[in-house]
This record gives sequence, C-alpha cells and structure tokens, in this order.
Amino acid sequence: MSSDLLRPPGAVPEADFLSRCIRCGKCALACPYRAIRMAGLLDGLVIMGTPIIQARRAPCYLCMKCVPVCPSGALDGRVKKREQVRMGTARINKKECLTWQGTFCRSCYDHCPLFNEAITMDSELRPVVNEKKCAGCGICEHVCPAETTAITVISGGTK
Amino acid sequence: MRITPIRRTVQIFAVAAMVAVPLLNLSGVNAVSGSFYSLSLGPLSLTDPLIAIQSLLATMRFDVVLLTSALIPAGLALVLGRVFCSWVCPQNILSELCDAVSRRLGLPRFFAPAPAPLARYLVLALILAATLLFAFPLASLFSAPGIISVQTARLIYEGTVGLELVLIVIILLAEFFLVRRVWCNHLCPVGSMLGLFHSRKTMRVVMVEEETRACIGCRECGRVCQLGLNPLADKLAPQCHNCGACIDACQKMTGDRRPLSFRF
Repeated sequence: MSSDLLRPPGAVPEADFLSRCIRCGKCALACPYRAIRMAGLLDGLVIMGTPIIQARRAPCYLCMKCVPVCPSGALDGRVKKREQVRMGTARINKKECLTWQGTFCRSCYDHCPLFNEAITMDSELRPVVNEKKCAGCGICEHVCPAETTAITVISGGTK
Repeated sequence: MRITPIRRTVQIFAVAAMVAVPLLNLSGVNAVSGSFYSLSLGPLSLTDPLIAIQSLLATMRFDVVLLTSALIPAGLALVLGRVFCSWVCPQNILSELCDAVSRRLGLPRFFAPAPAPLARYLVLALILAATLLFAFPLASLFSAPGIISVQTARLIYEGTVGLELVLIVIILLAEFFLVRRVWCNHLCPVGSMLGLFHSRKTMRVVMVEEETRACIGCRECGRVCQLGLNPLADKLAPQCHNCGACIDACQKMTGDRRPLSFRF
C-alpha cells in the first residue's frame, strides 16, 4: 500500500488549496518536526512547491504551529485545536495488521494523539479506526511495525 | 558619500538573512520566518504585491489579510521606487555578478534591446491573465527572488532543491550569453508590479537643476548603468531601479559636485 500525500492541518479542500497556496514555504519552515516538505517535480508538476506530508517518513504531530503562519488562507486559520484537524482518515489493512492476523500489537492504538478516541480496541483487542474522530495525522502509519504499513491515512478530509 | 558601498552592505545583509532565517527557524526561533514571497517579522506580515494580486486573481476571493500585508512593500515602492530590486533581491545580486564576470571576460552579446516598458508590462499582463484563466498561482513560478529564497530554505531543511531553480539557471545563461540583464530589465513580473506603484513624487534619479552646469558631459552615468539606461536622456521609470551607480559615477567624474542625484 503506497502512502498518500497529506496536506498540513487546516488545509482547505484540494482544488481550492492549489489556487490559494502561494508556495511560500512558511508552513514547512514552521514545522519543528520537519514533517512538512515542499513538493518537488517528482511529486507532481501541479503540486510543485506546495507543502506535503508523507506520514511513513515523518507524520504530523498536530502541534498546530503551521496553521497560523499561512499568509494566504490555504491553511484555514480557524482550525486551532487538534480535534478540528481533518487531514485524512486512517484505514487498517486487516491482511497486513499483526493484531488482526493474530499477533498482539498495539502500536497504533498507543501512539494515537487522540488516544482511545480515533483508534479504539474492539472486544477482541483489535484496533479499529473511528472515522468521525480521526485527524489523519499519520502517526499510526509512521509507527506501524508491519513491513508494508498496515495502517495508512487516505487523504482528502474536507477540513 | 557614495551609494554603492551602502547598497552592497544591504545586499550582503539580505543574502545573510535569507540563509539565517531557515537556520533560525530550524533551531526553534520563529520571530522571523518566510521567504521573498511572504515574510513574517513578529506579528507583521509582508507579502510581495505580485503574489497578493495573483492570489486575488487565482482564487477570485478578496483576502483582506493577504492584501493588507502587501501594503508596506507597495508603499515602499511608491516612496523609494523599485529599491527592493536593486538593494535586496537575490536575483539582482546574481545577475549583477553574472554581468560583471561576463564583462570582465569580454563576452559578446547577441541582442541589445532598447528599454521598452511596454514589453515588461505585457509579460506581467500575460502571467496574470494565465493565473486568472487557470486559477493557478503561476506568478509564484516566475518570482525569481521567491524561488531563490524558498529553495535556499529547502536546501537547508531537506538537502535538496526543486525544479523551480531551472528558471534561475535559464536567466543567468541568457544574461551571460545573449542579452545583458534581460530579466530585471525586461521581463521580471515582480519588478513590473513594484514599478506600477509609482507617482510623480517617487524617488528617482534626476539632473538637479541648479547643478546642471556641473555636468561635464562625460556620459559615465550611462556607461555604468547595468540596465543600459541613459540618465541624461531617457525617461528612466519604470526601468530604473534606483541602484545609484550613475550617481556614484557622476560624483567621481565631477569632483563631488554631483549634478546627478536622487530626488523625490
């Protein structure tokens, strides 16, 4: 499963984002985890210069430092709390997931910043994503010990 | 007092800041951040007027915060002329260097177009029209100072640079071999936009009336102008970016009488 390119927290819907973002790099400079990268040509000509996050490489820790520095409104300044963030939604690939395959593992559950809300355990202690709460930060994808990460964030949340 | 040494100091400071800002941000100091597209100084936000107008056209939305942040740079241009270009812009620094080297080597140039303000406004209009048509921030891809500063930051943060830098390479090759200072003088949309903020009171190079007789007719002012302007004859705006090289040359030749000077 290849991982999706995510936008930083507070990003407006993609089509709007592409016309709003002025490619100034401020959000990338503000990210203390260097999770936000400026897209290059290989990421796609149209998104060149825009901020992207590849969760497997470095996820978003929802520190919310990038949102207020955006000068163009491409990152919506009204998104202030991590609970408001909708960068995407995590999906579990049950065929790859260690726990769903019978080995005990709770990496994603333990590391989720919205602990026990966005990822919960079902009655048999298997991780389940709560799509209503998931911010799409990608920490679960980053920490997943499965070789081809069993949990990935699908981008395209509305806010 | 000669102008060029002061200008060089400002230029060195600008380049140093361009490198220092990403390094500071990286070490957790965020009081200054951004690039030549948009810069944050504490709570103050400064945006290149071209980029602000581009956003207005690309999104068809009147973003008050973004447009307000372009007022200070626009105001600066209105009072002091295109000093951003000659005193701060990193592309101008590269172009000046490139021109100095190429002249030292005595390379021939194949074209020497006359100053043509219309051509540069046509380029600006085309870029902005395409921005509006495609709802895509195209002007960002043609802002040489923006590209240089963002790619500097990218090099510091990620250890790589992007394809955007191809524009800078093309500009420098063209200026080295084809046309002297073609980007700043004839094409750059950032400079053209700043040039639009212009009034009769904007600072410019003039022959001071009381000192007209001090002019010895040496034409040194025109010879030192990298943009190929003739301060004695041409209407300088909007090509002239107030670098002051002609004034320094004039001062040298006339023994500090300085008939050529900045005036508002």
